[in-house]
Amino acid sequence: MILEMNHIEKHFGDLEVLKDISFGVDSGEVVSIIGPSGSGKSTLLRCATFLETIDGGEIIYMGDKAAHMNDQGQAVYVSHQELRRFRSYYGLVFQQFNLFPHYSVLKNLTDAPIHVQHRDRSEAEETAMELLGKMGLADRADAYPYQLSGGQQQRVAIARALAMKPQILFFDEPTSALDPELTGEVLNVIRQLAEEKMTMVVVTHEMSFAKAVSNRVIFMDGGLIVEQGDPAEVFDHPKEDRTKQFLRVFER
Amino acid sequence: MTLSTMLHTMSAGMLRTCGIFILTLIGSLPLGMIVALLRKSRFALVRGIVRVYISIIRGTPLMLQLLVWYFGPFYLFNWNIGSWRFPALIIGFVVNYAAYFAEIYRGGIESIPVGQHEAAEVLGFTKTQTFMRIILPQVIKTILPSVTNEVITLVKDTSLAFTLAYQEVFSLSKQISASQSSFMPFLIAGIFYFIANYVVAFIMERIEKAMNYYK
Ligand SMILES: Nc1ncnc2c1ncn2[C@@H]1O[C@H](COP(=O)(O)OP(=O)(O)OP(=O)(O)O)[C@@H](O)[C@H]1O
Ligand SMILES: [Mg+2]
Repeated sequence: MILEMNHIEKHFGDLEVLKDISFGVDSGEVVSIIGPSGSGKSTLLRCATFLETIDGGEIIYMGDKAAHMNDQGQAVYVSHQELRRFRSYYGLVFQQFNLFPHYSVLKNLTDAPIHVQHRDRSEAEETAMELLGKMGLADRADAYPYQLSGGQQQRVAIARALAMKPQILFFDEPTSALDPELTGEVLNVIRQLAEEKMTMVVVTHEMSFAKAVSNRVIFMDGGLIVEQGDPAEVFDHPKEDRTKQFLRVFER
Repeated sequence: MTLSTMLHTMSAGMLRTCGIFILTLIGSLPLGMIVALLRKSRFALVRGIVRVYISIIRGTPLMLQLLVWYFGPFYLFNWNIGSWRFPALIIGFVVNYAAYFAEIYRGGIESIPVGQHEAAEVLGFTKTQTFMRIILPQVIKTILPSVTNEVITLVKDTSLAFTLAYQEVFSLSKQISASQSSFMPFLIAGIFYFIANYVVAFIMERIEKAMNYYK
């Protein structure tokens, strides 16, 4: 297991956003998370990447516990210092790209490997150029983010995450901020990564993409996992009424 | 007094004006950043103190603040303030300008989207690295126009040093004008300030241009 999240609970004030969420991700698996707006999908990814702290449950990367449950079921994190170790396990691709605008494309890809992972500059640059080639952006290494289209920016953001050599990559609606004609180029990159057996968790509203690319689909609603399983099963023969209802809205 | 002796006398004042200007910037630009960061401190007491400091500085005239810095030690502690004139002047300016710069920095820091912090955090940057590598360079770019305004104001504010009878160019021009019954010193001072601001504007524009490589 690359990632295990068990009995995750999260609330913002009185609002319970995640209620006892449990799931695991195996090496090489592509998991899609779908669900209506406000169901807690982003919050789940933000908890997995420690941008939010969970209130209850446990988070385990590669058998290494980042947060465990005490006797009362409350989450207890490892120390701040130890938590840093976990950051190299995962990468996150944001809906809004969040590239560093003052860095060239190349520097966006090499800055963290060099200054966080203390990797050799020439090695980091080599890796970065390889990744850019894969993204079809080798000729844009010296460009600045503002000079790129949204689709190109998102591909750079994916490359930036991959440059850290993570074990697992999270995507939070990677194409939602893009014009429709630009979503394809980003989805293709993710599809290619899936073929290379990159472990990924993708929150998405692109149902046909989720169906085609993922090994497993998780349908969330109201802070719960309502249904999960093989994409063909979940999309074509959903068991739960809420899943059926959600998918019906999407078909229109 | 010939024009050239007048110019010669006043050039010493010009140097002193430049001294106030440069020392104030050297002190207040970094101090302002410290104040801006303290303003976001974890400790409510620190935040409170900083807020009071900023509101006092912004709510009272700089001229009054200079007088307090200069005469305060004498009236409060009965210190001998003989050689205290210049230090008091610089402290007064630095403390004043740091408050204004702090407010500019704060606005700049708050204008950086939270996504920049989050992207850096996920990549594993420490808080210090995030600030120094990701946030600060972007802050500097966004605040440059406001900093330029403040620096130009400072050029003119240096004349307030006359309050402490410090012989910078404005004090000197008043004195020479009175003793020589001539309007010339004011004209010279005016031209000096104008050129100084022209140089400041020119330099700041160059810096702004240099940062235009990204948007
Ligand atoms: N920082 C926060 N403070 C308070 N409430 C929050 C915060 N972040 C999210 N929420 C609330 O938590 C709930 C779940 O939000 P979340 O963003 O996880 O939903 P989502 O499934 O990603 O929705 P969408 O499809 O619109 O992106 C929403 O009701 C949202 O308003
Ligand atoms: Mg979301």
